Amino acid sequence: RSFSLDRAPEKPVTEPSLQSLVDMGFTCTQAERIYESLSKVRRGGAAKNATSTLTALIVLGFNPASVLKVTETCPQLYTVREAQLQQRIDNLRKLGLVEGSLQRMVAHYPQILTVTLKTVKIVVAFLREKCLFTSQQVTNILRDSPAIVLEDLGQLEYKFQYVYFRMGIKQAEMVKSKIFRCTLDEIRCRHCFLERRGLYQTPDKKGQTLIINPKLDSILNVDQATFLTAVAKASAEEYEIFQRLMAREWQGEEKEYGTVDND
Amino acid sequence: EKWAVSHPKHPPTRLALQHFDATYAVQLGQLWPSARVALLSERKYGALLNNFSNDDVLAELQANGCRDFISNTDTEAQPCLEQESIDHPVKKSDDDAQQLPPLQLSPNIKCVVFPRGDITRFKPARPDAYRLLGYYLLDAASVLPCLALDVQEGHSVLDLCAAPGGKTLALLQTQAIRFLCVNDSSVSRTLRLRKVLQSYVPKPFLTDQNLRITSFDGTKWGEIERNTFDRVLVDVPCTTDRHSLMEDDNNIFSKNRTGEKRRLPQVQLELLLAGIEAACPGGEIMYSTCTLSHIQNQSVVEQAIHLAREMHGIDLEVVDLKPLTHMFRETFHFTPELPLGEMVIPHLAANFGPIYMCKLRRLT
Ligand SMILES: C[S@@+](CC[C@H](N)C(=O)[O-])C[C@H]1O[C@@H](n2cnc3c(N)ncnc32)[C@H](O)[C@@H]1O
Repeated sequence: RSFSLDRAPEKPVTEPSLQSLVDMGFTCTQAERIYESLSKVRRGGAAKNATSTLTALIVLGFNPASVLKVTETCPQLYTVREAQLQQRIDNLRKLGLVEGSLQRMVAHYPQILTVTLKTVKIVVAFLREKCLFTSQQVTNILRDSPAIVLEDLGQLEYKFQYVYFRMGIKQAEMVKSKIFRCTLDEIRCRHCFLERRGLYQTPDKKGQTLIINPKLDSILNVDQATFLTAVAKASAEEYEIFQRLMAREWQGEEKEYGTVDND
Repeated sequence: EKWAVSHPKHPPTRLALQHFDATYAVQLGQLWPSARVALLSERKYGALLNNFSNDDVLAELQANGCRDFISNTDTEAQPCLEQESIDHPVKKSDDDAQQLPPLQLSPNIKCVVFPRGDITRFKPARPDAYRLLGYYLLDAASVLPCLALDVQEGHSVLDLCAAPGGKTLALLQTQAIRFLCVNDSSVSRTLRLRKVLQSYVPKPFLTDQNLRITSFDGTKWGEIERNTFDRVLVDVPCTTDRHSLMEDDNNIFSKNRTGEKRRLPQVQLELLLAGIEAACPGGEIMYSTCTLSHIQNQSVVEQAIHLAREMHGIDLEVVDLKPLTHMFRETFHFTPELPLGEMVIPHLAANFGPIYMCKLRRLT
């Protein structure tokens, strides 16, 4: 094909040949797209690792179309060396992500394989030791919200403490409600809105409240319209204004913290 | 731990919230959650324009997106711009407000606000070349009792509980008052009021001939001056709901002010009765508060009407303020169907109030 003839001379020898891609099961069009996403990461020996990355994904059980999708979402995967990639996959398995979950996780969030072992270990240790999640809970957290591994740990701690202390939610319910999928602002905003409307109370030391709090799941894992009609019983206009007011309140708060820190 | 900071066990703001939850949930029903979140969030202000200032602050404020809610009501909603109904029979399809009797409003009061849902804040007012400030920031709803008081040319007016003076300033904007009597029992607050007047009103308007500032106990006013004033504003001390929810300092719900809080309805009643006595026959009295509390609002007015007749032989009628609420319904949320008086209820989209007002007219 003229396509491969045109391109071949410019390419370093290590870039997978069209033939090798076809041998792996890709069609010509798919191969073309692979070259295209490869061209986006022309550094760190991307081309050198391309073959091993593609192979590893296929070994993981992805079909060519899914491999293409995963690598197009995250071309950085091409820059990961073979050995590292394997280590990271093994580590996730060790963390309890069994076949099926592991594949779904990678398909949904391929970036997980670009994160160093050390980073993942720090986050896992944080969840275990600072937040006292069980290993099974940590596995579920990683499965449901893998992006957590790239979050700022300070922010993460703040989010956990907010839900734990301010909302009075225990670890098991946090995991069930997938809180780490939400940003702190989303959680705070919905919670504060309910609280100020008189529909949510922080439990006292004995875990008691005067009213029955709505389930965390019904607060966080629903779209805004459902949240407003089913839980908050408020208009979209009110909530929209409330969000703007909150953003300004918190801005002020952060500024205040800033000055405290400088003292 | 950041979220485990221990707060004092029963801060007054907390007690206030508990009290309001217990009483207002019953009193306001479905309206309470929306009022509650509004009360606990940042309030909106209005800028009362100072006609005595030389700067054209109105144009400037308008350029920033504000509008004068008093002159800019939608014309359809102005039942008080009368006559129409005589020439054209009232259309049944339109709402019944057109059938309401005209209501006169005090002239020249201008108050600008940012539109519904807009949370922009006002900048502090700047002094003009004569050191007078261009506007006074206040709860825009607190202008309503002043507007509805309907001060007219040559009137003598009593402002019985006047400090710090926002409503006094609004009344002065009419430039129609022949003699204004300003009173507040608190000496320190009266001092503040003096400062406010000095920053807004030129000296020639603040002479002994047209103004008197006193610090009497307003409940005793009947002993001083009876049947005198054309208009009386009785803006009583109350549980100041918004303040009580937001500030622990100087909070009426703090434990050491329990007695004072319990006596409020009685003091309010006595103040209103004194105001009624101070008005002349035919004169009008405006009772206002900044609480949602039924006991401090309607109940006080009901009792005052009753006692004025029983004790002083004064007959009163309640002036219907429906035309006013209809006129300003785009700017404020009013509680629907209040049996006596009108009330601005806070709402996030129009976070003004609470303001309760009830206008009485002396028949005898
Ligand atoms: C709601 S504030 C008035 C606000 C004022 N009208 C304004 O618009 O700026 C109530 C005032 O009543 C005063 N007050 C309390 N008890 C009083 C009394 N017995 N006689 C006169 N004034 C009293 C308080 O000092 C307080 O300044």
